[in-house]
Amino acid sequence: MTRRIGNGCALNVRGFEAHAAVFQKARDAAVRGSSGMIRGTVAIAVEDLRKVYHVREGGSWRGRTREITALDGISFSVAAGEIAGFIGPNGAGKSTAIKILSGILRPTSGIVRVGDLVPWQDRRAHVARIGVVFGQRTQLWWDLSVAEGLGLLRDIYGVDPERFARNRARLTEALDLGGIMDQSVRQLSLGQRMRAEIAAALLHDPEVLILDEPTIGLDAPSKLAVRAFVRDLRRERGTTVLLTTHDMHDIEALAERVIVIGHGRILTDSPFQDLRATTLSERILEADFVTEPPVLDLPHGATETMRDGRSVTITFDPRLVPAQVLVAQLSAVPGLDDLRIGRPAIEEIITRFYADHAT
Amino acid sequence: MRAYLSAFVLQGRIGLRYRIAVAAGLVAQLWFGAITLMAYASVYHHAPDAHAPLTLRQAMTYTWLQQSLFRLLPIGCLPSVGDAARTGAIVYDLLRPVDMWAWWLSSSLAWLVGAAVPRAILLAAIAGPLAALLGLEAWSLAPPVSMTAAILALVSFGLGALISATIVMWWNVLTARTLSPLGANAIAVPLSVLLSGMLLPLPLYPPWAQTLLLLQPFAGITDIPIRLYLGVAIPGGAGTAIVIQIVWLAVLTLFGRAWMRRTVDRLEVQGA
Repeated sequence: MTRRIGNGCALNVRGFEAHAAVFQKARDAAVRGSSGMIRGTVAIAVEDLRKVYHVREGGSWRGRTREITALDGISFSVAAGEIAGFIGPNGAGKSTAIKILSGILRPTSGIVRVGDLVPWQDRRAHVARIGVVFGQRTQLWWDLSVAEGLGLLRDIYGVDPERFARNRARLTEALDLGGIMDQSVRQLSLGQRMRAEIAAALLHDPEVLILDEPTIGLDAPSKLAVRAFVRDLRRERGTTVLLTTHDMHDIEALAERVIVIGHGRILTDSPFQDLRATTLSERILEADFVTEPPVLDLPHGATETMRDGRSVTITFDPRLVPAQVLVAQLSAVPGLDDLRIGRPAIEEIITRFYADHAT
Repeated sequence: MRAYLSAFVLQGRIGLRYRIAVAAGLVAQLWFGAITLMAYASVYHHAPDAHAPLTLRQAMTYTWLQQSLFRLLPIGCLPSVGDAARTGAIVYDLLRPVDMWAWWLSSSLAWLVGAAVPRAILLAAIAGPLAALLGLEAWSLAPPVSMTAAILALVSFGLGALISATIVMWWNVLTARTLSPLGANAIAVPLSVLLSGMLLPLPLYPPWAQTLLLLQPFAGITDIPIRLYLGVAIPGGAGTAIVIQIVWLAVLTLFGRAWMRRTVDRLEVQGA
């Protein structure tokens, strides 16, 4: 019932904007929305989602219960075939949202549709169509080998033998599982286990893949392998991916769209490049000198942020001081050896963003 | 259906993997059995068989059967459910397109049967034919009193295994609810050991307690099947005994399923 309702970008209803619009209204808006883009179908639609936990305090049975609002009315949608990154500091409500979308948790109020199903109401039908990886938990069975675990999942999801053989072969190759198929899961390294976990989540060709911190604790090559796999998956199979992570490089490598969540609300929902541009437009210039650097007379908009031996780090706003002006000025300084200009690390962008919205 | 069967087969196979545990269990069970037998022998020496609800020979066979089937008792939640509750991996159980009750039940049943059957066969072989061959027939596990008794006992043991697995399901739900296996396991052991007749055969409790003891669910696990095996009179006859088992199975399943539904609805697995 929610199929074919315009493209994803037009549906980026921000959390702090009018929630009054019911699902139907969001749908109309989407159809009327920006033209010229391909019309996808909406895989995930969330409208004014709230979740209040009742936490007992004091330990004993006389303890009072306190209400904690984990989600305070969030709305967003993800188009079919889109990769959306879901980020926010610890305790922001990401996991709660992920659990509701997975059908594990019942929200206090709000509308959620994944495909045409309400996750917590049509639990069994819903979970048959999604794949989920929780990076901090294992879905394979410790006492079984990877192959046995995949066989059990085949029976759970009722994957027919031919499709199972095909998918298993494909995933074994793409995730390099050949050498570990007959090892029991308890013997796997974290990187090996995570690759097996991802295979386990995809055996039944889910339409939506939910990855909750899939690269946590992985080494660099494993992270790259996971990212490459997810990119290929989206490209080749059109799988919709919802990703949460604390590793901003995951977001940079994968997500076209970033939904930043904080205090149970959506702080921003925009393409990653926009987030970068609006939050932190600063550039960083590093200058090395052959001898002890002289005192620099910098123009307005540029400040010296660090001095270490023979190198100086300068932070500048390119809107006030164009890079070429600064470079020209520094080139005139005697003893200059080398110059490098870069953008701040993505962690800094996000840290700055959280700080700006920490109210 | 296939998923439940696979879960059963794989869980059963895990049970068979621990051969050292089987050997250790066997030694412990033989030891406890022998001590219990000596205690009975001394008690029966002062109280003649005629007034006892069980003869000394029946009490010995009862004890050996209980010891053989110790692992059939619901002495805790399914270990994998306990682990999943503690680590939070229980979220994955909610993510499977299966009937969660049937899914856990098939694993729980395999856990019990996979552990109990190899031990039972070995211990019964040692306490029965082997003991008789060694000239210890007076202390041995006697065969069923008749063919009918054997068949009734077999059916009843089957129902007993199902009742036990269903009680394990209650521990599983409690574990999912409290997100820790500790509470369930703390109450499971004393309840199982006392009420199943493992510690003291239920027929040997005072007469005023007999009806109550027979009508509680744990009697249906091993006590009722053993009574049928021994041919001990049960009020209402063998038919009533089996009906008691079936009623408990139905009641525990019905209320257990309802409890599980409520638990799953309010389950809030914290953390990432």
